[in-house]
Amino acid sequence: MVNYYPENREYFEMGCSMIEVRGLTKEYTIVKKSPGLRGAVKGLFVRDYTVKRAVDNINFSINQGELVGYIGANGAGKSTTIKMLSGILTPSSGEVKVNGIIPYQERKKNAQTIGAVFGQRTQLFWDIAVRESYHLLKHIYQIPDKQHKETLEMFIEVLNLGPLLATPVRQLSLGQKMRCELAAAFLHNPSIVYLDEPTIGLDVAVKTRIRAFIREMNKLHNTTVLLTTHDMQDIEEICNRIIIIDEGKVLYDGSLASIKERFGQKRVIHFELDLEGEFTLPAALEGKANVIPGEEEGKISLSFSSKEMNAADVISAVLGEYRARDLTIADPKIETIVHEIYERGV
Amino acid sequence: MRKYWELMKSQIKLDSAYTIWYWSGTASTILRVFVIYAFWSAVYDNRVEITGIPLSTMLTYVVLATLLSNYSAGVGYELANRVRNGEVAIELMRPYDLMHKLVALDLGTKITSSVRNTLPIIILSFIFIGINLPHTWFAGPLSILSAIIGVFIGAQLDMIIGILAFWVFYIWGLRILRNAILLFFSGALLPISLFPDWLQTVSTFLPFQSIVYVPVAIYTGQITGSDIYFSILMQLVWLVVIFGIIRLLWSFALRRVTIFGG
Ligand SMILES: Nc1ncnc2c1ncn2[C@@H]1O[C@H](COP(=O)(O)OP(=O)(O)OP(=O)(O)O)[C@@H](O)[C@H]1O
Ligand SMILES: [Mg+2]
Repeated sequence: MVNYYPENREYFEMGCSMIEVRGLTKEYTIVKKSPGLRGAVKGLFVRDYTVKRAVDNINFSINQGELVGYIGANGAGKSTTIKMLSGILTPSSGEVKVNGIIPYQERKKNAQTIGAVFGQRTQLFWDIAVRESYHLLKHIYQIPDKQHKETLEMFIEVLNLGPLLATPVRQLSLGQKMRCELAAAFLHNPSIVYLDEPTIGLDVAVKTRIRAFIREMNKLHNTTVLLTTHDMQDIEEICNRIIIIDEGKVLYDGSLASIKERFGQKRVIHFELDLEGEFTLPAALEGKANVIPGEEEGKISLSFSSKEMNAADVISAVLGEYRARDLTIADPKIETIVHEIYERGV
Repeated sequence: MRKYWELMKSQIKLDSAYTIWYWSGTASTILRVFVIYAFWSAVYDNRVEITGIPLSTMLTYVVLATLLSNYSAGVGYELANRVRNGEVAIELMRPYDLMHKLVALDLGTKITSSVRNTLPIIILSFIFIGINLPHTWFAGPLSILSAIIGVFIGAQLDMIIGILAFWVFYIWGLRILRNAILLFFSGALLPISLFPDWLQTVSTFLPFQSIVYVPVAIYTGQITGSDIYFSILMQLVWLVVIFGIIRLLWSFALRRVTIFGG
């Protein structure tokens, strides 16, 4: 693990950070079931286990007010980490401390100070109107009347919840629901908010609104935010630090600026080619450029380091072998950097 | 405490909104009461009493027992669902106790159905079937107290089945078994005093008669005198025992969620 965050260390030792994670590990035991009746009977006597290490000896510490993007490929262990931080899961080993509390030991106390959005699950009350949900949350989190009223008014304004308040949650669209969820997560003014894929499946307008809201809450209350997402635009617009994990291990932990600087000489060129069959990298670019397959037929992106090659050489090498309909030279995006790190390591 | 109160209120509001369910529930209960009335009138035919119980007492018993057995389900189903779709985990992130919350919701539902369903049917039964008043004047309040304890016992037993969902994925089999046992041993069909002696003895060692038989028998006078207090005491003992079992099972279940991830 590379730590680009030297000042972290001190906080770690002084113990005044918001979230502290040391040697955190989570192993899931999965019972292997043999098929059929015989398997079921056999399962009564002998049990085969496989152990899946979802989070593997993770260390980090997050200070109050930080906006941290927690990113990694599918199955990297992001949700598992967040579940341990929020007290839902007990770690197999290692330490977690959130706000001075060990979450899985003092679940209710921890719950009072955190907020969370799990993109795939609703936390609002399914059958009752949104307004009622907020009323219930007020009592569940014991929010003082005045504070609740003011916060809610502001949320209604910023997230444009007005037209949704009378609707039962089950009748809301995904984007409407997510705006309501977000308000619910921040309603009791938690000091930490975990957002597990809060923008999944949302349109650009809603995403923009949600990002603005998160930044705003951070500015107003110095709320610490830990965000997982597969949308790098979220990261660029919200976070000032990223932690990248892969197969349960931390690959990178540092500021967004320093990763950009470090990989800043990365360039990407997007090609739209008339392809007949598969795209193969021209020999001249072998080992120097990376292929990032695009979403559509014929769309291909190449990333390379501006130290090793210049853009003109890359373009002429490709045009020597393929007919291009269009091409654009892009700024280095965090997305390509992350892709690179997944592929090759730091 | 306030939060559970608010949860209960929200459930009452929610239930009051579903008028179709309300009416279909009421209609099916009225139908059952009517069938029971017709059945027992036919059984008694020209007889004045069967094993010492006159028709009017029998009708009083079976009507009240039918109504009370409506309450014997609880939130176990709800809990089992949440276990299955993984929502239990999310509930653990809330600053409340899930078991208390479920009880609060259940109370809400039961209060709504008492007001909108049970009470009107009892009044109708007084008028049209001519069911009796309580056996003695103090049997009235005591039977209500006993019924409330019984309702709690029923709900808690249901909760046990819900918690079992953590280990047994499909619990409908358990539920059917429970329904059969309840129908018989709670006294929902027949007063337990009509059972053969050995079965009555078995029944006194089970919690099920506390749910229906005890409160209704106090009302109709099959349980009288100091037996009333003894029966209510037994109900309380069962309530405490079952509550203890639930807490124990729940702590195991919690361990399971937090270690295996649901
Ligand atoms: N309850 C569970 N039991 C067994 N294995 C699990 C369980 N939950 C997660 N896993 C495994 O642990 C690993 C990490 O899962 P996790 O949900 O933390 O990934 P993630 O980083 O959130 O991925 P995604 O981006 O797809 O949401 C995966 O390999 C997954 O299969
Ligand atoms: Mg996830």
